[in-house]
Amino acid sequence: MRALIATLVLGCTMLITPLALADTPPEPDTGASETQEDAAEERAAQFVGVRGPEAESVSGGALLLSAYAVVWALLFLFLMRMRGLQRQTAEELERLSAEIQASKDR
Amino acid sequence: MRSTRQSGSSTVWSLLLFATLALFAVTLYLIFVVAPVEQQMGIVQKIFYFHVPSAYAMYVGFGVSAVGSAVYLLKRDPKWDAIGVAGAEVGTLFCLIVLLTGPLWARKAWGVWWTWDPRLTTTLLAGMIFAAYLALRSMGNAGEVEKRFAAGLALFGLVDLPLIHYSVQRWRGVHPTVITGKGGGLESEMYWALGLSFIAFTGLAALLIWARASAERQREETARLRFELMHR
Repeated sequence: MRALIATLVLGCTMLITPLALADTPPEPDTGASETQEDAAEERAAQFVGVRGPEAESVSGGALLLSAYAVVWALLFLFLMRMRGLQRQTAEELERLSAEIQASKDR
Repeated sequence: MRSTRQSGSSTVWSLLLFATLALFAVTLYLIFVVAPVEQQMGIVQKIFYFHVPSAYAMYVGFGVSAVGSAVYLLKRDPKWDAIGVAGAEVGTLFCLIVLLTGPLWARKAWGVWWTWDPRLTTTLLAGMIFAAYLALRSMGNAGEVEKRFAAGLALFGLVDLPLIHYSVQRWRGVHPTVITGKGGGLESEMYWALGLSFIAFTGLAALLIWARASAERQREETARLRFELMHR
């Protein structure tokens, strides 16, 4: 029963609220609010592309930082690769030495 | 005798390493503290101090690779093959640096990341030629035929290097040419920063080529030992 009453109240609220809002008298017309509304409408209605080379403002500092980071990161990766190669060669040499030693013992 | 020579070269390597590190420290100070910010482009122009010397180091690497390859084709000495590989790898590393730092600068200066300017295109071409060289060499243990073919490819890549350099003069492009034989458009502090950066990058390229060639020779020697052991 309580659920039925609650459903009825909710249904009435949903029906009455739009009607009540529609009857609300319009606010006094001011220039500022009109400009805001225009801007909002324009923002929502269309996308206008910027033409020319300066299509977007990019931070020079961020680009500079990225460039220097690229240099150091690539150098670091190269050194890591060389270290890997050296380690691989050292392991191979160790294995070969062990094999030579084993063949001598035989 | 051999041990004395190894010890001597190790000392030279350490000295070169120390000098290069010290030069990099001074260069960074000159770039970020002494050299003024460029009027038109702003702070992003400071990429120039690493971008141009990297291009120079790329020339050094690819040049060394071509010379090593040419001598290898004549003498068939594995030492020169190792130098060829080392030069190609280091050259490709610096080529990658040039091709990544350039667009970051171009985005601010030209408004685009990339344009098919003659210098940019020929640099990309050189990078692709030497990338092909490295791909060929990385296919397992390269045999004599692969080594010779790769050496030929390095010599072919050498032809592209003057094209990169003179493309700006021969064909009109958007790439700046502030360093010319007629005197450049740089302020004295900018010259100092760039000059020292050139020396530092030359030292770095020499160190990397040296170390990589040494590692390659050791790898080759190990492969030879393994082969001998298997066929004994």
